[in-house]
Formats: sequence, C-alpha cells, structure tokens
Amino acid sequence: MNKNLLFKALNNPLSKAGFIIIVVVFLLAMLAPLIAPYDPDDINVKVILIAPTWQHWMGTDGLGRDVLSRMLFGGRISLLVGLVAVGISTVIGIILGAIAGYYRGWVDTVIMRLVDVMLSIPSFFLILAVIAFLTPSIINVMIVIGLTSWMGVTRLVRAEFLSLSGREFVLASRALGAKDARLIFTHLLPNSLTPIIVSSVLGVAGAVLMESGLSFLGLGVQAPQASWGNILTDGKDYIQFAWWLSLYPGLAILITVLGYNLLGEGLRDALDPRSNLK
Amino acid sequence: MKYFAFLNKQLTNRNAKASSIFLLIFLVTACGQQTQQISTQSLSKTYPTQPGGTLIDAMLGEPSGLISMIAGESASSAISSNIFNKLLKYDKNLDLTGELAESWHVSTDQKTITFKLKPNLKWADGKPLTSADVLWTWHAVIDDKTGSPYASDFQLVRSAQAPDALTFSVTYSEAYAPALDSWAGLQVLPKHLLENQDLHTTAFARKPVGSSYYQLDSWNTGENIKLSRNPSSVLGQVNIDHLVSRMIPDTSAQFLELMAGNLDSMSLDPTQFSRIVPARPKLNKTLNLYKELGNSYTYMGFNLKHKPFDDVRVRKAINYAINKQEIIDGVYLGLGINIASPYKPGTRWSNPDLQPYPYDPAKARALLKEAGFIANSNGILERDGKPLSFEIITNQNKEREKSAVLIQRRLKDVGIDVKIRAIEWASFISRFIKTGDFDVVVLGWSLGLDPDQYNIWHSSQQGGDKFNFIGYHNATVDKLLEQGRVELNPDKRQKIYHEFAKVLLEDSPVIYLSAGYGLSAIHKRVKGIIDPIPAAGVGFESEKWFIPEPLRRNEMNAN
Repeated sequence: MNKNLLFKALNNPLSKAGFIIIVVVFLLAMLAPLIAPYDPDDINVKVILIAPTWQHWMGTDGLGRDVLSRMLFGGRISLLVGLVAVGISTVIGIILGAIAGYYRGWVDTVIMRLVDVMLSIPSFFLILAVIAFLTPSIINVMIVIGLTSWMGVTRLVRAEFLSLSGREFVLASRALGAKDARLIFTHLLPNSLTPIIVSSVLGVAGAVLMESGLSFLGLGVQAPQASWGNILTDGKDYIQFAWWLSLYPGLAILITVLGYNLLGEGLRDALDPRSNLK
Repeated sequence: MKYFAFLNKQLTNRNAKASSIFLLIFLVTACGQQTQQISTQSLSKTYPTQPGGTLIDAMLGEPSGLISMIAGESASSAISSNIFNKLLKYDKNLDLTGELAESWHVSTDQKTITFKLKPNLKWADGKPLTSADVLWTWHAVIDDKTGSPYASDFQLVRSAQAPDALTFSVTYSEAYAPALDSWAGLQVLPKHLLENQDLHTTAFARKPVGSSYYQLDSWNTGENIKLSRNPSSVLGQVNIDHLVSRMIPDTSAQFLELMAGNLDSMSLDPTQFSRIVPARPKLNKTLNLYKELGNSYTYMGFNLKHKPFDDVRVRKAINYAINKQEIIDGVYLGLGINIASPYKPGTRWSNPDLQPYPYDPAKARALLKEAGFIANSNGILERDGKPLSFEIITNQNKEREKSAVLIQRRLKDVGIDVKIRAIEWASFISRFIKTGDFDVVVLGWSLGLDPDQYNIWHSSQQGGDKFNFIGYHNATVDKLLEQGRVELNPDKRQKIYHEFAKVLLEDSPVIYLSAGYGLSAIHKRVKGIIDPIPAAGVGFESEKWFIPEPLRRNEMNAN
C-alpha cells in the first residue's frame, strides 16, 4: 500500500518536484566531503567577504571561509537534525497515540490532556527555554525538538486507532482471540501508517526550520561547525553588502522546506479519497 | 488534522511578521525621504554657533536606573553623566581640572585632599549644591547597604569632612595615587532629595534631579530617554536643546536607522566602519567617521586554578600558537594594535620596550613537549592520558566570537582541542565568571586613565565577585601594584608600571589579542566637534556641539 501511495503521489508534478528536490539535497549533503572545494572550517583572513567568483562560487564569509563548502557541510547538519528530531517525535507520538487510542478510558484522558497542555505552550519558546538550560549542541537540539513536537502524531495515531478499532477486520481478529499486541502491531498500526508518514514528512520541514531558527539565535549548532541557520546569522551582520551570506542559506532552507512540503502535500492528496487524482 | 493546522498557523504567523517588517521598512524609508531634503552641500557649509535642536543617538540596553553608583553599568552612566556633575574632570589633554571644584589641594604628607567648590552652585530644582551633598554622596557610596561596585576606591578614605559649605576634605590612611582619579568618577547626588531613602528602590533613579547640562524630560520604557537643557546648569549652557537616546537593542538595527538618517551618532563595528560606509556615497556625504585608540583591549584569560593552565609553559605555548595579527586583520579588519602591556599604546604607562609574543607554532610545540605533552593517535596532545582540551567561553559579542574561532583553528594546528561557547551576558557573569566555572575566557577590559590595576591583578582581588576572577597570584606583581598605589611621583610610578607589565608579559596569565579602535559615526549636521580628535576623545566638550537651524530635523521626526 505504501509503495502504491508513493507512486500515486509522484504522479502529481508538484510532489514529484518535491521528491526530486529532497533527493538532490540529500545527495549534495552526503557527498559534501567529496564535492566541497575547500575545508569548511579553513580560515583565510586574506579573502574575507569576497563576492561569488570562480574560486568561491558562493563567496566567502567574515573569516574568509568558503561559503559553498560550509553550505554543503551545513546541509548535513540541517538534514540530520530534521530526520532525527522527527524520528524521535514520531516514535513517541506512535507509542502514546497507540496507548491512548487502543486502551481509551482514563489513560486516554491523561495522555490527551498532556497533549493539550503541551500544545498550549508555543513550541518555539518551549524549545528556547529548554535549550537555555542545556548546553547548545546538535544532539541536544535534535532531542529537544523531538521531545517537544510529538503531539500532532499522537493525536493522529489515536484518531486512526479509534476509527480502525471498530472496523470489521479488527473485530474479527479480536473475535478469533488475538492479543492486544497482535492487534496493535499487525492490524492497527500498519493501517494507520500512511497518515503518519505524511505528517512526518511535513514534520521534517518544520524541524529543519526549527533548527535553522535555533542556530540563527546562537542556541543550535556551535562554532566552528556550520549549519544553514548559523551561516544565515553571520550573514545578518553583513546584509547591507554581503548578500551572498544571507541569500544562499536562505534559499537552501526555503528549497528544502518547500521540497518536504510539496512531497508531504502530494502524499496527503494521494491518500485522500476525496481528492480527484488522475 | 491538528498537526497540519499547527504548521499552517506557524506559517501565517511568519507572514504577519514579514508584513510588519515591510511596514517598518516603509516607515523608515518614509522618514528618510524627509531628512533627505537637506542638501548635501548645505551639510558641508560652515555655520555660526546657535542654540537649539535635538541630537538623537541609540542605546543597546536600557539603564536599570540613573544613579550610576548603584547601576554600575555603562548604559546608566552614559545618560547620568549628562545630568550629574563630579568634583573633577579630565581636560583635553587628560589632565585633571575642576568641575564642581574650583581648586583642590593635596597636603604635604599626600594623605589629605581639600576641595574648594565653586560658589553659588545649584541643583536643577533651585536648592543650593554644597559640600554637604558631596559628603553625603561619599557616605552613600561606601555604605555596605548601597553595595556600590565603586565602593573600594572610596573606602580607603579614613575620614571626610565638610567644614563649610564650599570646602570638602578627605584623608586617606596612606598616600593613595589614584585618589584624584576616583573623585573624577563619582557623580555627586542631591542630599536633600535622597536623604533617608533606599537608593535601590527610590523613585529618584527614574526621576533624577541633577546639576549638569541636562535634566530628564521623559523616559518611555523600551522606547527612549529624552533629556532637555537644564536652564540652571552649574557649568553654563549647552547649545543643543534635547538629547534623545533611543532604545534599539541590536547594532544591525541601529545601523539601519543611522543609514536612514534617524540617528545622529552611533559607534560602529569594523565592518561598518571600513567596508559599508565608505562604499556608499550617500552615507559618505552625510556622516563623519571618527577613529580613536580606546583605553581598552581584548584578551584571552586562563583560569589559573585549573590544570594545565597553572603551568607557565602551557600558557606561553598557547600565546606563541595564536596568530594575533590574523585576529587583528580578520576580525578587526586591521583596526587594532598588537599589544604587550595592559595599557593604551603610546601613553606613558605603556612600556615601549616590551614586544608581543610572535606567532611561532614551532616554539609552541617545543614548549608543550617540554611540559610533557605528547600527541595521541588523533593528533591531540596528551599528558598522563589527559588530552589538552578546553572550552573557550565568551559573551555574545561578534568580534570576540570570531576571535575565538580563529584561536580554535590555530590551536588545532599545534594539537590542542578547543570548543567555543558564546553565552548571553547576564548568565555569562552569574553562571561562569562568579562561580569560577570556566577554563578560558575571551573578554575585554575597559580601563580608566589611572594606571592602577590593583583590582584586576592583585592576589587579594581573587574570587568571583571581584575582577581578578582568573585567580592570578604573583608576589612580584602584588608588590609592584602596592607600590604603584602609594607612589605619587609620576616618573617613579611609570617605572613601577613598566616593570609590572614586563612581569605580566613574562608570566602570560592572559594573552593580549588586540587593542581595538573606538569607531564612531556622527551625522554631519552636528557641528563644533573638535578636529583632530583630542586625547580625551571625540566626545570631549560635546556641550559645545550645535546643530545649525537649516540642518535640523523636522521636529515631528525627532520624537
């Protein structure tokens, strides 16, 4: 079913574009050590803030480092943070959502109220507050983003479980004496996977933005390691004349987030029986 | 589904923010157009001195109050120095002269100073300003309840008297060379308004009554502080009617406002100074740029209580491994000086015989080897199985962060693993400096004019609340600092401080990175600025500045 879904989604030109964008961005980031023209941390004060040239395709930054190389290596961080953070939030979301949706009753009430409480706090400020207590580092950023964005998945999984558990095949399986674990893992979860995938893909876009935002504020990835967010921060100070420092990381974030969103929307449309796909 | 909605909501918020930024830009350009009507030719004409007008500058942080002996922060004293007077001040050539004091006399045993106040001094509310106010201010600053960071200078006064309304005298238990300098720093407060009040909570801090050129007009929290001319100023009248300090907490935003013509002066960073402004003809025509060597320097300081920084060979090795010229060129765009003593280069206190540590990674490696460090399989140096690895902390200051990145790179070359952490100022001080929980800091010292640096280097001043937070202890330095404090003969004092700087350089408890220039831009509408810049700085005698009528802003804009 999931394979079909991807094919169906890729029929749509927009989501095909999204898919291609993601693949290209991933390839560039993974191949960074091979294709980056310079060491991303190599400082050269003789070439500070050079506009894009043939030697430096994306120019150099305030310490004479090659922006293209930093963008490529920074992409690894941004993509990694996006994936791991969403991985964490999805796992937590599935577990809590499954428990709430399957067992219902007071467990459901407790988990759903917890979700409400978490959702009532603006997530960016929650993350800011937590990071302020910890040492800023990539690992902490991934964990904190993951731990503060599982609520959507939880609701999704719970809703799917609620609607699926009344369906005939589940009732039949239960009537045949299947245990809770079997019902959850072989019937309910596989059948609710598609919306989870869609929401995760869209969630990665959010996490990439979140990481960029934190790094922009100096609370994410620390120097000298590059990430799109902190290249953008450096650019802020020179925005009046070194446009390349703001433009390229900005574009990279934009394109990546757009790619994930297009793909996610495409998947959602493909999944939606009411949408009229050719 | 809630999850998608959540994302959408986030996007709409972002849109709203973006449109408000556009609106802001629109407003800013709209204002800019009005000010552009002043032709650039009229800016370069000469004008006769005339009173009136408003000068607008910006501040990064809002003062906590305007009693600067309590606030102890530059944001506060920047405003309060326009409102209050001191007994003494520095003249153009940095010699002391009277402000409230007409004259002063140092006794032959050099322990007693007697100040004679100028006659008929008045507070802005019309009450007379007498030596009783000065005496009361001294009592307030040394009072433990006040907890003033400046108390230690004044606690050395054994007794103070105000025998008559115009005479104030202080007696020290032993001769104290920085004494006069300290009286040029203490703002005199009105006794009649503050007596029996808690200085920490008094409303006076936000509604001060002073004696100097300006008085507080309005204070809009988070927006601006407006001062207007004090008609009964004890020092005569200023030319400019109003001073407005706008609260803009970000230097990039301040610079945008300066470019739009909505600020008259601000201090610049090296990039703005040497790259942006010169590249823009329009800015060139409206701004005057000023560059002066400040009395401050940036350094990298070791926590001497932590291993391996107690080993002088390690400190020296790191000093050799850092390329200071690279920091000056890369971070300060050449607008800095490589120094070898903690004094402003070119002044009498700076020892001209001392040379900064050159960049010499080979020597650094040799010293580290001598200290017992051997490279492990990762290329990181190790001693007794412990890698030579530490964290540099600094506050969120662009230049310092960039310097730290350069240091990190150069130390990696010799096999030292460095991490960097930039921390917001308040937690930087409370969490790391006061607790002594750090390895290495990159920070700066802004110094006064007196060469006494007892507070920074004397072993009695160790500990988090004090300035010797790196834990420096050297018996020779202690002795020299003690001698320097009681020596009033300038030539002998000079010898003492030259020797002090030499020992310090040899011991390398800190690594001097650069003495930076103070860079500033002032709009060309402001006339009467002394050129060339006197030793006392570009802001010297700013009371004589004026803004000719044709060059003034439309007053609607000024508010």
